[in-house]
Amino acid sequence: MASLLICGISCTGEQPPRGGGTLVAAITTDPGHLNTAITTNGGVHNAAGLLYNGLVSLDETLKPVPDLAERWEVEDAGALYRFHLRRDVLWHDGRPFTAADVKFTFDELLLKFHARTRASVGPALLRIDTPDDSTVEFHFRRPYAPLLLQLDVEEAPIMPKHLFERGDPLQNPANTAPVGTGPFRFVSYRSGSEIRYASNKQYFRGAPSLDNVVMRIVPDLGTQLVALEAGEVHWLFGVPGPERARIRRDPRFKLIQTPGVSGGSNCVTTLGFNLDRPLFRDVRMRRAIAHALDRRQFVDRVLFGEGRVADAPISSRIAFAHARDLAMPAFDTAQAARYLDSVGWRRDGTAVRTSRGVSGTADGTPLVVGFTAMPGQGVYGDLLRAQLRAVGVDLRIELLEPAVFGQKVFTARDFDTAIVAYCNGTDPEIGVRRQYVSTNIAPVPFSNLAAYRNPVMDSLFDHAASALKVAERQRVYREIQELAIRDQPYVWLVETLSTYAHSIRCNGLAASSHFAVKASCTE
Amino acid sequence: MKQGFVLRRLLQIVPTVMGVVLVGFLLIHIAPGDPVLALAGEHGDAEYYAFMRSRFGLDEPLPRQLVTYFARVATGDFGVSYVHGRSTARVIMERVPATLLLTGSALLMTIVISIPLGALAARRPHSARDIGISTAALVLFSAPVFWVGQLAIFALALKLGVFPVQGMASAGSASTGGSHTIDVVRHLALPAMVLASQELAALVRLTRSGLMDELARDHIRTARAKGVGEPWVLMRHALPRALMPVITVIGARAGQLIAGAVVVEIVFGWPGIGRLLLTSLQTRDTPLLLGLFLVISFTVTLANLVTDLLHSTVDPRVRLG
Amino acid sequence: MAETISAAAVRVESIGQRPVFRGIAGRRAALAGAALLVIMIVVAMFAPLLATIDPFAVSGPSLAPPSSDHLMGTDALGRDLFSGLVYGARASLLIAAAVGLLALVCGVSIGILAGYRGGVIDDLLMRFTELFQVMPRFILVAVMIALFGPGLDRVVLTLGLTSWPVLARVVRGEILATRNLEFVLSAEALGATQMRIFWRVLLPQVMPSVLVLVGLMLGQVLLLEASLGFLGLGDPNTLTWGMLAGQAQGYLRVAWWLPLFPGLAITLSVLGFNLFADGLAADLQRR
Repeated sequence: MASLLICGISCTGEQPPRGGGTLVAAITTDPGHLNTAITTNGGVHNAAGLLYNGLVSLDETLKPVPDLAERWEVEDAGALYRFHLRRDVLWHDGRPFTAADVKFTFDELLLKFHARTRASVGPALLRIDTPDDSTVEFHFRRPYAPLLLQLDVEEAPIMPKHLFERGDPLQNPANTAPVGTGPFRFVSYRSGSEIRYASNKQYFRGAPSLDNVVMRIVPDLGTQLVALEAGEVHWLFGVPGPERARIRRDPRFKLIQTPGVSGGSNCVTTLGFNLDRPLFRDVRMRRAIAHALDRRQFVDRVLFGEGRVADAPISSRIAFAHARDLAMPAFDTAQAARYLDSVGWRRDGTAVRTSRGVSGTADGTPLVVGFTAMPGQGVYGDLLRAQLRAVGVDLRIELLEPAVFGQKVFTARDFDTAIVAYCNGTDPEIGVRRQYVSTNIAPVPFSNLAAYRNPVMDSLFDHAASALKVAERQRVYREIQELAIRDQPYVWLVETLSTYAHSIRCNGLAASSHFAVKASCTE
Repeated sequence: MKQGFVLRRLLQIVPTVMGVVLVGFLLIHIAPGDPVLALAGEHGDAEYYAFMRSRFGLDEPLPRQLVTYFARVATGDFGVSYVHGRSTARVIMERVPATLLLTGSALLMTIVISIPLGALAARRPHSARDIGISTAALVLFSAPVFWVGQLAIFALALKLGVFPVQGMASAGSASTGGSHTIDVVRHLALPAMVLASQELAALVRLTRSGLMDELARDHIRTARAKGVGEPWVLMRHALPRALMPVITVIGARAGQLIAGAVVVEIVFGWPGIGRLLLTSLQTRDTPLLLGLFLVISFTVTLANLVTDLLHSTVDPRVRLG
Repeated sequence: MAETISAAAVRVESIGQRPVFRGIAGRRAALAGAALLVIMIVVAMFAPLLATIDPFAVSGPSLAPPSSDHLMGTDALGRDLFSGLVYGARASLLIAAAVGLLALVCGVSIGILAGYRGGVIDDLLMRFTELFQVMPRFILVAVMIALFGPGLDRVVLTLGLTSWPVLARVVRGEILATRNLEFVLSAEALGATQMRIFWRVLLPQVMPSVLVLVGLMLGQVLLLEASLGFLGLGDPNTLTWGMLAGQAQGYLRVAWWLPLFPGLAITLSVLGFNLFADGLAADLQRR
């Protein structure tokens, strides 16, 4: 997520009084480790964002401003980026930060393990050079427009080479005793209980006001809320739907709403069809399901109003690329029924449709469609099941934990339909391309889920990435979205928002990875 | 004689323990997929798997593998947890104290409450009081522990605000010493009570039964005939004998107690091995899960052994079957 | 017969040898328990008639309290809780029955084998039994799910194959106590085959105790299955009471009906089993 200071409900950006104090934040899961470069898992990013920096950070208008890099040049129309790094940055263990750390982080960590960077920067990048200790050069095969939007602490946090250069990064002890350059440094990690940070007095931007930050592991959102109201915690990364109205009215608390979630931003919850399965080879099947879904109901019942219906394949938050007035399939059960009938799935007096003349299927087979999701998105499955029952489709739900989900869906490709929250990022190159290009059909989580192969689409994306003028890119992205709707490899359900809540005893808080850097709390 | 008994009982554990390890070994190999995944998690690279393979001898013929596995388990090596990046045994041991605190407090509460209640019920069998107590115990015995937890949270924590809702200590508190202890005790109260309620029911009934048995015996009747006061009869003569099942039950119900503790820990967010179990299941951290399986099985076996030994010291009539 | 920890465990499983109710009251208790169970079975069997609303369909407003439209309110998605409970009865009963049957078959066979044959076979089987008694069922199910994936059959199999130890012990105890009795010896003397002795003599002998234990065990299995469902380890394509209770966890404050009714249903059903078993035990003791 970009360091967005976009506040929907309220914004607490005033200069805080000289404070100190300890901020307690509640997180839902024990992250397991604290290395944000090797995962896009929201839990890890929530827990550990405060420890690191990126080369740049993004202000409210999504303009890149200096962070670890103090200035930069873009040459060759975007095929070469040169960053000049600050010389006064120290790692939390006292060692100096250098260009070698940047190169190492990209080559060995981000490009291998970070889903979005790997899929977007990866194919376009030629190499990274470090002419001296404080200069880094990114050489691309062709002009790569969106790089500056992908270098903040959310998308590309920088890790210390001297701790990671030996051994397997995934097993490195620094993952649970991390060292970064960020405003807070690691103190302790009590498994299952809490993570403690102390302010980094040597922070290159000046030490933060707070003395300590504690990340308390409170697994249940409802209980987190109770803790907030009891004064036991000050900051929540999420508020349960039914309670939002009540908290909004309570003067003791402030809510901040943003389209970013930890680990990504501008996310669109997407239903993907496994195009390798005979059932979904026929586009009429896919269209039938698209028409059967009342996406408004998802916003109401699943998101409790916190979000909007996705009216285009690209998030509405990427204003220049989001196309308006596209012919997205509307909620129309009659149309869905017509499509299903035409394929050969008939309703012969039974609740579930059976096949009559469907190629490759024996007559009388019931229409059973599998659905795979991670437990956090089980609710989508429940609502999908309810809506699809109405048109005679029997949806079978399989909930798999993240590790197994990745394995079964992306590696083994053993699924009919699956749900993924594709975070688009601030430019379609970051989080949209990976869903559609045939080169990204890989056994890597959150790659091209549908295994969609269309050479026209591939070249459209290439065109969009290297076009220089915004108007040009806009035109190409519109074509991409129209093609996507025609081929319907996915059904784009909803765009999600996040709501953060905090107690007014603390101010200077913002909805970003560095949410507490300007904060202070009174007792 | 006594030493012989102890020795024999100790020796009896060995086949049980070995059986548990064997079951663990079988599970690893029966499960679909490469056995190394069950020992090293799913995210390693080729080098790491090769390392783990050699550590657990997975390329050797099955019988030798079994021996190697036994040897590894004996030295406390249950595999390495991927999610936590360190030895499974270490991760488990970090969480054990919290669970011990919870189950220990619950057991203490149970004993303190259920013995007097059981005695009260046994004094006048089949009276209204007895039926009242016993039926209440039966109802409590029938209620799922998570429901009792949900009701307790709703009534006592949310509505009345008497107890904190969850966790082991107040967030953000860096307190130590006395105030920290008090803080922990406040957080401990509700989960311990909920866990205790599950055991309470069984113990009340057992104490009652045991006492009823004892009170019907000849020597009690003799004591009564001799004019010994009723409370005295109860205390000196009947109670000690009747307490034996109390000791026994702790061992026998160890498995259920742990299952209850798991649910209570999850409902209340108590950072013990119960939560660890759920999260390791959610992250498919198979080495950790297997490690938990072994540790808990061993604990139950140990509990059985201890109560057997205790039982034998109290009542010389008991021997090995 | 010398007592060991396992025999004490049996007594524990019987929640004490001394039932609450004396004599006729025992009958009444058993009947009360049976009544609860009959209600549950009827609800399960006639689910489609009782619950006209599809439990999976979004049929009402989100988080609506009990009303004439929705007798027990709705959940966050707007699904009717009453329908969910009614259909949940089916799922829970079926699971309990399946597990019970499996455990019954295993336990009785092993118990009779051990008690009748005695000697080395008895020793071996008892060691085997103790092994299964020691393994925590809950954890074992979790391990099975992690290794083999979620699924109802895994749960049923695991629970069924680990719930028989107590049954086996009790059966064995009964056999040991009675095998040297006259009528058994005389049957043997008359040349009756093993099978005959098994069916005609031994089985009827152990049946009453077995029935009591099975009643208790079914209650325990129901509780175990509810806990698993509560933790989200069940099959998402079925609705069990435990799962309904688990879904309520995030809404304790705003929707009291969501945790109340599923838990109540479970408690009443388990109470039914326990009352029945306890009453039956009282009745048997009387004879």
